[in-house]
Parts: sequence; C-alpha cells; structure tokens
Amino acid sequence: MQAAGSAKRLYIYTAALIVTAIIIWFWEPTALVYGIQRGSLYAVVALPLALILGILGVLNLAHGEFLTVGLYATYTLFRNYGWDPMASAVPVSIILAVVGIGVYLLTVRQVLKAGHLSQLLITFGIALVLSELLKSIYTTQPRAVFTTYSYAFTRFAGVRFGIYEFVYLAIALGVLFGLQLFLKKTRLGQATFAVGQNPTGAAIVGINVRFVYLFVFGLSIAIVGLVSAFMVPRVSVFPGAGTPFTMKSFALTAMAGLGNLNGILLAGLALGILEAIVNAIPGGAGWSDVVVFGVLILVILSRAFRGAR
Amino acid sequence: MGKKAMIIVCILVAASLPLYAGPYFLSVFNTIFVYMSLSLTWDMMLRTGQLSYGTAGLFGLGAYSSALLVAKAGVHPLLSIVLGGLFAGVVAFLLGFAVLRLRKIYFSITTLALTSVFAVVIRNLPRLTGGASGMVLPSALFSGDAAKNYWMVFALALGVIGISLWLSRSKTHYAINAIRNDEIAARSSGVDVFKYLLFMFVLTSSIQGVIGAFYAQQYAFVQPEATFSMNFLLLPLAMALVGGVYSTSGPVVGAVVLGVVSEYLKLIMPYGHLVVYGLIIVLVVLFMPRGLTRFVARQLARRGRVGGADRAALGN
Amino acid sequence: MMRISMLTVLALVLTLALSSAALAIEPIRFGAVNPLGDITGEQATRAMELAVKEINEAGGLLGRPVELIVIDDEMRPEVGAAAIDRLATVHNVDFFVGGMASGVHLAQVPALKKYEKITVWIGAASHQVELAVGPDADWYFHLHPWDYQQGASYGQGWTEIAQAHPEIEIKRIFLAYEEGAFGTDSYLAYQALHEQAKQGEGPYAQILTDFAGASFTSALLGGGDYRAVLRQAMAFNPDLFIWAGYDADAVPIVAQAMEIGFEPPLFVGAPPGWPADFGKNPLSDGVILYGMWAPALKEVSPVAKHFWDAYIEMHGHEPATYFAPLGYTNIMFIAEAIKAAGTLEKEALIEALRTIEYESPIGAVLKISPSNVISNQGFTSQKILQYIDGEQHVIWPFEYATAQIKYPFGR
Repeated sequence: MQAAGSAKRLYIYTAALIVTAIIIWFWEPTALVYGIQRGSLYAVVALPLALILGILGVLNLAHGEFLTVGLYATYTLFRNYGWDPMASAVPVSIILAVVGIGVYLLTVRQVLKAGHLSQLLITFGIALVLSELLKSIYTTQPRAVFTTYSYAFTRFAGVRFGIYEFVYLAIALGVLFGLQLFLKKTRLGQATFAVGQNPTGAAIVGINVRFVYLFVFGLSIAIVGLVSAFMVPRVSVFPGAGTPFTMKSFALTAMAGLGNLNGILLAGLALGILEAIVNAIPGGAGWSDVVVFGVLILVILSRAFRGAR
Repeated sequence: MGKKAMIIVCILVAASLPLYAGPYFLSVFNTIFVYMSLSLTWDMMLRTGQLSYGTAGLFGLGAYSSALLVAKAGVHPLLSIVLGGLFAGVVAFLLGFAVLRLRKIYFSITTLALTSVFAVVIRNLPRLTGGASGMVLPSALFSGDAAKNYWMVFALALGVIGISLWLSRSKTHYAINAIRNDEIAARSSGVDVFKYLLFMFVLTSSIQGVIGAFYAQQYAFVQPEATFSMNFLLLPLAMALVGGVYSTSGPVVGAVVLGVVSEYLKLIMPYGHLVVYGLIIVLVVLFMPRGLTRFVARQLARRGRVGGADRAALGN
Repeated sequence: MMRISMLTVLALVLTLALSSAALAIEPIRFGAVNPLGDITGEQATRAMELAVKEINEAGGLLGRPVELIVIDDEMRPEVGAAAIDRLATVHNVDFFVGGMASGVHLAQVPALKKYEKITVWIGAASHQVELAVGPDADWYFHLHPWDYQQGASYGQGWTEIAQAHPEIEIKRIFLAYEEGAFGTDSYLAYQALHEQAKQGEGPYAQILTDFAGASFTSALLGGGDYRAVLRQAMAFNPDLFIWAGYDADAVPIVAQAMEIGFEPPLFVGAPPGWPADFGKNPLSDGVILYGMWAPALKEVSPVAKHFWDAYIEMHGHEPATYFAPLGYTNIMFIAEAIKAAGTLEKEALIEALRTIEYESPIGAVLKISPSNVISNQGFTSQKILQYIDGEQHVIWPFEYATAQIKYPFGR
C-alpha cells in the first residue's frame, strides 16, 4: 500500500515535525500539547475512513454518523448500566462492528459492482438515516458523561496541561502498529494488502475478495467504535456530533495520500499543531480553518505538481 | 416523436404554472429549479470525470458578489445576477490553473476545502461583507412576486438544461467522454485535456454563481452559514445520482422527484420524514443503481414501447 | 312541477342553513413554522398544541374553535419561506406564529411582507431580521429579545446583584463567542455596551470597566476545543467570564476550564439551550446561565406551574427548553388580544396586541414596546440563572428569584 521511497519521505517529515515541535514548545507550550492531542484525534478518526477507501475504494459518507452511533452506544451503557466509558471501549467496538457489518451486508455490498458514485450515494443515504434515527430516539438535546479523569492534568516544566487526550495518540499508535502487524504477518492481512493493490489480481490468485471487503468494513467501523468510547468523556453527545469528522477524515486521507496510513498520523499531527498555533494567537481563532485548509490545498497541489498524485 | 411532444407539453405546463398554481406550489418548484440547475452543473463537471465538491462554494461566491454589488454599489438586481455569475467564473478560471491538475479524491477534497475557505474569508471581513451576521438587501427581487421569481428561475433552469443538452450533442462531448474514460488515451489522441477541463470548470462555476446570485436576490439576504450551506452540494449531488448521471434527464428527473417527495413526506410525516427520505435514497440505489431515468427507460424498452434510437437518447 | 319546486326550495333552505352553520364553525387558524427536527421547534409545537387545547376546552375564541397548523422549516431558509406561502394560500391561516432560526426567518420576510398578516414570531434574535422587516410593518410582532437587548438586560441584572452583594465586583468581563452569526452578534452587542459604559452610559455604566473577547469554533460545528480561548480568558483575569455558544459546548467548556485551572469568580454560559441532565453533572455547580426561563419558576409563578403541570400531563415529558413556555405564550398572547378586541379585524387586533399585558409562564409580563427599528417588540430582557446543588435556580430578576447567588464559582 505504500509506494517505495516514501519511507524516506516519512522520516524527513517526522524529523521536520519534531524540530518544529521543539520550536513551538519554547514559544507557546500548550499549543504543542493541544495540537498533538487534537491532531491524534483527527488522525485516529481518519484511519478507518482511509482503510475503507483504500481497500474497498468506497468513500464512506456515513463515517461521522457511525462515530455518533458509537458515542450514543457508550452513553447509553453509561446511563443505563453505569459502565465507565473506557471500560465500554471493547463492547462498543463490538457493537459497532456488528452494526457496520449489518449495514454493509444490507447495502454497500450490493453496490460494490455498481461503481463509486452509487456507493457515494448509498453512504449518503445511510448517513441521513442514522443521524435522523438518533434524532428521533434521543432528540437534539446534547448529553454528556461525567468522569473525574477526563479533565485530569499535570505539570511539566512549569506548564499545566490536561493529559486525558493523549489517549488519542496512544490509540492512533496502537491502531497503526496493529494494522502493520495485521497486514504483514497474518494471512488475512496479506490478502487484504493484495486486494488493496489489485482486487482483480487478488481474485485470480484465489483470495476471497468478498470476505476481505466484509472484514475490512467491519474492522474499520469497530475502530470507529473504539475511538468513540474514548471520546465520550470529553465531548457532547448529540446527533450531529460525528458529522464534521467525515470531512476532516477525508481531508487527512487526501493530504497523506491514498494508501499511506502512517502519513495520516503525521498529517493529523501537523494539522492539529498548526490549528493550535493559529488558535493561540489572539484574534487568530477565526482564521484557523482558512490556514488549515490552505495548507491542505498547498500540500495536495505541491504533490500533484511534483507528479506524484 | 412521442417523446419530443411529451417534453414540449411538460415545458408548456411548467411555464404556465403561475396561471393556475398558488404561491406555495410556485415556491416549491422554484426551489426545485434552483437545485435542478445546480445538479445539472455538477453532472456536467462529472462528465469530464471530475467529481467536484465545490458547488456550494461557487454558489456562495455568486450570491455574495451579487449582494455586495446591489447593497454597496447600487447595481440593478438583475444585472447583479449576471455579474455574480461572471465573478464566479473568473474565480474558477484563476483557480482552475492550480486545481485542475488534480484528479479523483484530491480534486474533490480541494474543491470542498475551497468552499470552506471562501466562507471563512467572507466571514472574517465584516466591514465588507457583514461578517458572520451577514447582510440584508434593500429589497427582494421583483418585490417577492411569486410568479415573476418563478418565471425567472424557470428560464434559468431551461437555459441550463439547454447548455447541458448542447454539451451532450456538440463535438465537445466526444472530447469530454474520452477524457472521462481514459485520460491518457485522450491526451495521446491529441485532446487538450486541460483546455476542456478549464472550459467545463468555468462554465459550471459561472452557472452556479448565477444561481447563487438569484437565490440571494430572491430572499434578499446573505449570511455565511446559510449561503455556503452544504445542502447546496449534497442535495444536487443526490438528485443527479438518483436521477441518473452523465445525462440531462437524470438531474432534471432527480430534482423533481426528490424535491416533490421531500416536501410531500414532510407534510404527511412531520416528525421523522428525513429517515424515510434517507431510506428512499438507499432503496433507489439498491434497486435502480444506474438511476431512475435509465431504470424507467429499461422497463419501457422491455415492454417494447420505446424504439432503439429513443432508448439510446434516454440513456445518453 | 309544484313538488319539484317544493323540493328545490327545501334543498335551498337546507343548503343555506348548513352553510351558515358551516360558516359559524369556521375555525380561527394559527399557522406555525417551527424546526421540528430540533428540540426547540419540537417543544414549541407541543406547547402550542397545549395552548390550543386549553383554548378550545374553554369554548374557543369569539365562539369559534381554534386550529393549529404546523409546518417543519427543516432549518432551511427556502423551505421556511415556502411554508409561509403554504400556510397563507392553502390553509388560509389568520396568524403566522412560531420560528427559531434567524437565517430561516430572513428568507421568510419577503413572503411575510407579501401577505401582511398579523405575525407574532418567537424566533430570530439577529438584528438583521429587524433591518429586513423595517419600521413600517405594523402587522409584525416579535416576542424574542433581540441580540442587542439580551446583553443590555444582563447589565441591569448584574448592577442590581452587585448592589445587593457588595462583595461581588464585575469590572472585567471576558466573552468567548462562537464564530458564527449567533456568537458574533453577542460580541458586537457587548462591544457597543462597553463603549456606552466608557461614556458613563448604558446598563453596564456602574460596573464594567474592561472588556475583551475571543472567538472559538462551537462543538455543534465541529469544534469542541476551547482551551486556547480559555487560556486567553485566564490571562485577562476577568471578574466575569461568559461564553456564547450552543448547548453542545456547555459541558466541555466547563470541564476544560477546570483542566487548565481557570476559575473566574463568575462563570457564565449563554447558549440558547442546555444539555439534558446538566444539573446532575458535578461540574455544573455554580455555573451561571443566561436564559429566558427555568423549570424552578414553577415554585414562584402560578402561571409557570400551571404550564409545567399541563405540559407534562398532555405530553408525558418535561419541558426542556424555554421554547416550550414561549410557544405557549405565542398562542395565548394572541388569544388574549382577540378576547380584548372582541374581533378579528386587523387594526383593532393590532391595537389590542399593543396594549394588553400578558403574564407569561416564561416568568415575565409580556408587553409590546418599540425596539431599535420595529414598533412591536415583546420580551426585551432575560434572566440570570444558576445551577446550585444540581438544580437550576433563578437569581435575577429578584421578583422571580428562587435562590440567592452562590459566589464565587470554584471548587
């Protein structure tokens, strides 16, 4: 899934990021901390979308809505059974895997042959159904889960900052590492890699492409569920909570380049830190979207003009 | 010949609607024509193989430029609609040199990002544009006369339909189809890919600007959240896909069907109608994956009522 | 021949009798455009249904039954505008009521001006709407306070509270506002009030000396990280910190304030609604909120209590947003004016609407007065509320207060 030579680019970008990070630490330390935290969140939410886009070729417009379903599932487990959100991470990811596979079997699988546009439309319809269903059940009034650890903080070099959100970085690294292991060391993973490279070729060699698609879709939604459980202590749960993440995930996937999963974490961290820097400048917060999207467009353009699309 | 007669009847019926339908009906179809035009422009760009997510952005640019011209420079509203389209076209022309080198998801996400950039920049220039609170215009187009607004948007929609049809019949469409099917082959056959892409991008963006300007003048206000709403991207996209892409009849039919269905559903099911709307979209994709128009055409063909030539024309 | 003409006469007489009977039971129609997909529109609708039910059970108005027709605006401007057309021409309503979002209402204004029916609107706080409607629309009544009025009423409230509690000082105010129209309008309003205070004028003259503000992206629109703006607030060291955003921001912002160690003496939130069970969240204790209504009002206002009980009885759940009592007020206010005028004739009714006073379950008396541009503005001031021990209490105006302010904010 990664083209040769991009490993070197990866090291260069990582080094550049570390240097920039050190500089920022001395200018405005909390900007670096918040940037890493938010950036990892964007990255770990984007990874499942990139997975489905890379292997199945489907742009899942319902990505954010699945995230919202996970938020509500975690909230409901907390509300009705008193389960701590971190403890419900695994159950929620299983629930979401089931939901994801169900949706996949009923809808997406039928349109795999119909082309990317049909898949786009069907995920749009699914997104609408999911968010409106949640609205009918829970109304638009937001919910929240209270946990004492969600605003835990620490002091480092005289700077006070919250530490809970570093869990997003941990999950991102874990997911990336797990995916690498999966893709390289397991038979199913190697089959998945092959399908991602060339589905027709994979089918010819006898790989059960249909099963790979099913598995990847389910896995992706399960990861979404896992992340959502860890998000609950920090976010408001309402029907539109996940929707903005669809576009952000799409942006990160494009910025990293299709097939480049590790690049997503880097791109996420870079954009997160950039956003935090702009927000830390007084009067800058209103411009952070422009800066972030501007950089995104520049990165994509520069890659295109270099010839490596 | 039967098909042509049907189309003429439809146009006559639609044109004469204000004579016997009330303002509500006209309002609903007014909205349908707005979305229909946007849907056609999205499809036209799609025919070149480029999936644009920038419809709402150019729509908003047209709306704001037209609003500024009327509110700050006293330009006549109708003229401002033309100029709004022109402005959107110029912006598209300038951006095209950079953006049209991109393909697939990179083109899509860049056009989507541009929409956000336009909206945020406009929002951050309050002295010029009214900022986040938006701007109110001194008066609504035709003083809110339902019939005149309807005829105007109907004429615009007819114009866009005409452009779309012309495109599919002119020699341009060979080049466009070639680019869509295999860009490298087209390029090696001597097709100037960039020229055609730029032409289509500027053309569709100008139309989107005109429609946006009309919308702003009709409701006499602009505001970043409302004017750059994602609805102006998602709904036209869904309409074209539901109706059948790479055609003129597809977006037209899709806009009418989805527009009427959503309004009707809302009236009979005040709570939860959007769930049904979403389900309908899912079902349409499952059972009519190539769109309504092609599905209907196939059914009619099966019953032998439509000749081979007409079938080809319907399926584009 | 004779028999046929007898039959004809009989038929004519019967038709006349039946049609005049039909005319006599022609209902009075209220046409509402509400966002049914949002909790505000949903509860406003249910409250309107309650009001209509009560009116009909009491015999209707002017001997006629009352009918409510509600159309969903889907929070889309063009849909809201089409709804006005439909209510006017298909349902022939006598009044336009309802509303919530300013953006939607702006698109409805041209249509409303076409029909010039008596319109009593409970939504749209943006001053842009006032500019669009203009000063000549005597048929237009607006009940929701304008964005600039909301800030002013709080100035009066804090001045009174500071006088009653000498230990409370409100010299420095910091406003964190969401970057959209809603938040920005608040910021502009506060800037104007600050300018006035610097000249020694206006509702903040006796208390405010320094003001600063910064924007953030609301969680509703994909944001949710307020730490940067909270740090700027912390650096400003305000006596009163206020955030203007949406209900989705309420919990994260107070949690993140705790995380960075920001504890201003007064922590105020001004969203248009509040999360479910916010009181149960320990973080809520001491949080002050601006609002038009609190459930606790049922303890001090018989009208509020009646509304509360009746709403629960009819719908089986509690009102959760101020749009519930506001929707009820919307219908009842017009009903009272109809009774006072004794007719549906437009001029008389406009006069009645302008003169009557209605004790509203929102916890205020509704009396029409001019605002900056229009002549028929309803509510101009809001209330200062506070979460104390998990309950939402009114701390100002004092005549509706259900508790004393808990000061300062902090653990």
